[in-house]
Amino acid sequence: MTRPNIDHLERRCPRLGSVVSFGYCMISGEDNLPCWKIFDCWWETFDVDGYLKQNLPNPAYNQLKSMAETPRNKIGSIIEIINQAKNQSKD
Amino acid sequence: MEQRKILLREDEIPRQWYNILADINLNPPLGPDGKPVRPEMLAPVFPMNLIEQEVSTQRWIDIPEEVLGVLNIWRPSPLVRALSLEKALGTPARIYYKNESVSPPGSHKPNTAVPQAYYNKVFGIKRITTETGAGQWGSALAFACSQYGIECKVFMVRISFDQKPYRKSMMATWGANCVASPSSETRAGRAALEKDPNTPGSLGIAISEAIEAAVTDESGQTRYALGSVLNHVLMHQTIIGLEAKKQMEKIGEYPDIIIGCAGGGSNFAGLALPFVYDKIHGKQVAIYPVEPAACPTMTKAPFVYDHGDTAKYTPLLAMHSLGHAFVPPPIHAGGLRYHGMAPIVSQLIDEGIMEPKAVRQEQVFKAGVLAARSEGIIPAPETNHALATVVDEALKAKQEGKEKVILFNWSGHGLIDMAAYDNYFAGKIKDVELAEAEIEKAEAECAGYPKPTHLKHK
Repeated sequence: MTRPNIDHLERRCPRLGSVVSFGYCMISGEDNLPCWKIFDCWWETFDVDGYLKQNLPNPAYNQLKSMAETPRNKIGSIIEIINQAKNQSKD
Repeated sequence: MEQRKILLREDEIPRQWYNILADINLNPPLGPDGKPVRPEMLAPVFPMNLIEQEVSTQRWIDIPEEVLGVLNIWRPSPLVRALSLEKALGTPARIYYKNESVSPPGSHKPNTAVPQAYYNKVFGIKRITTETGAGQWGSALAFACSQYGIECKVFMVRISFDQKPYRKSMMATWGANCVASPSSETRAGRAALEKDPNTPGSLGIAISEAIEAAVTDESGQTRYALGSVLNHVLMHQTIIGLEAKKQMEKIGEYPDIIIGCAGGGSNFAGLALPFVYDKIHGKQVAIYPVEPAACPTMTKAPFVYDHGDTAKYTPLLAMHSLGHAFVPPPIHAGGLRYHGMAPIVSQLIDEGIMEPKAVRQEQVFKAGVLAARSEGIIPAPETNHALATVVDEALKAKQEGKEKVILFNWSGHGLIDMAAYDNYFAGKIKDVELAEAEIEKAEAECAGYPKPTHLKHK
């Protein structure tokens, strides 16, 4: 899929604590999705919601929305990853 | 010459941490079955002595001598009267800050990294894993592990690993093994590399690698460490506020306002919780956690139980949340988004003990630059959030002609974070108006979940 090239736009990533490009935000999420904080971080710069709606396949956009609107609390994430790691090590 | 620094002698360092769980009620994290998460569920990644601290309701917990003996490399940290900032603002307010930038890694993070390394050592752990983004936490843990002779493994997100060579140099100097994530050392890392050998990585992959490395060590001698959010992390940080109280007592001052940046909650809570204890017991003090206006969870979102994932497998946590179906309209309310907050901080906001403030990006860096040009220390970008509110309050005091006493946490220096300043100077950081729309819908999104009790302190 081609999309307008705005990947060079930069801002400070609140999760990493370093400067990243919009292009990084587009590829750094789970399941090949953009980062779940992409809406938070870029809404001040441009209509990121409209942009993603236009440039992501519908299921991917909906999945990203759903992830963005649901926080990944630390304890929950940790327990989930523990279980995944345990299960995988049994394989 | 006016006194600028208020110092404690080393033998005046606090001997106990303050555990606020003795004084407040907290809605427990809930598992997928709707029941509270059990401590043993965390045992594969944390040593039991730290898990005991996580759930303890004992008010004062002794700081082991072996921990004090490392903390005193830089602690007690100075309490500083910000005379030059006061002058620059022309305010009658007296502004004080705890200077946490003086620690070896340059931030407040080692206040918990040191005890975490110590308790792991006591539990017989030989190796600690963690993830890091830009490297602040990774450096702190590397430093702490070096003090106790523990092996430290840091999975640093590839993009930051390449951008911030000095962070990995710092970790290497302290003897830690810092690798770029994804790495070929874990299944999670290999899977990511298989998909894209040139991937810049992500925090999610790095966390998975660090936890996997701990869980799959068959010797049982590896654990994982986390630098924010958890109760015991916040408790370790209370040494900041406990020292500040002693220092203010020395000069006969008590703060009217306490301010800290509340990103992950730990530096803010570290300063504020000992004063929350006072407030619960009748003292008059305003306590302001500050967050970016781009995601003003605390200021906007209702207090609800919500899941940590879309599949609803993960525990329900009581937190400030805008709900799973919240859709911001383009531009205006994009920032009013779901964002987890440390449960203790969320609880205290819900009780009205803390009053959150939101600040904008441009305001944040403007305050940081003013502070750097007056006080001299270049603040970490996180510290700038607190500084923006300090400036607001100091100017308000000027308008009102009141001699308010403001205390805030200078959580770290920004010497390895200059790219964010470069963006500010290049005009890439701009403020926009924040709409109030959509907030009313938020509570409805979590209507199907149990409601956390609006608890009151004990």
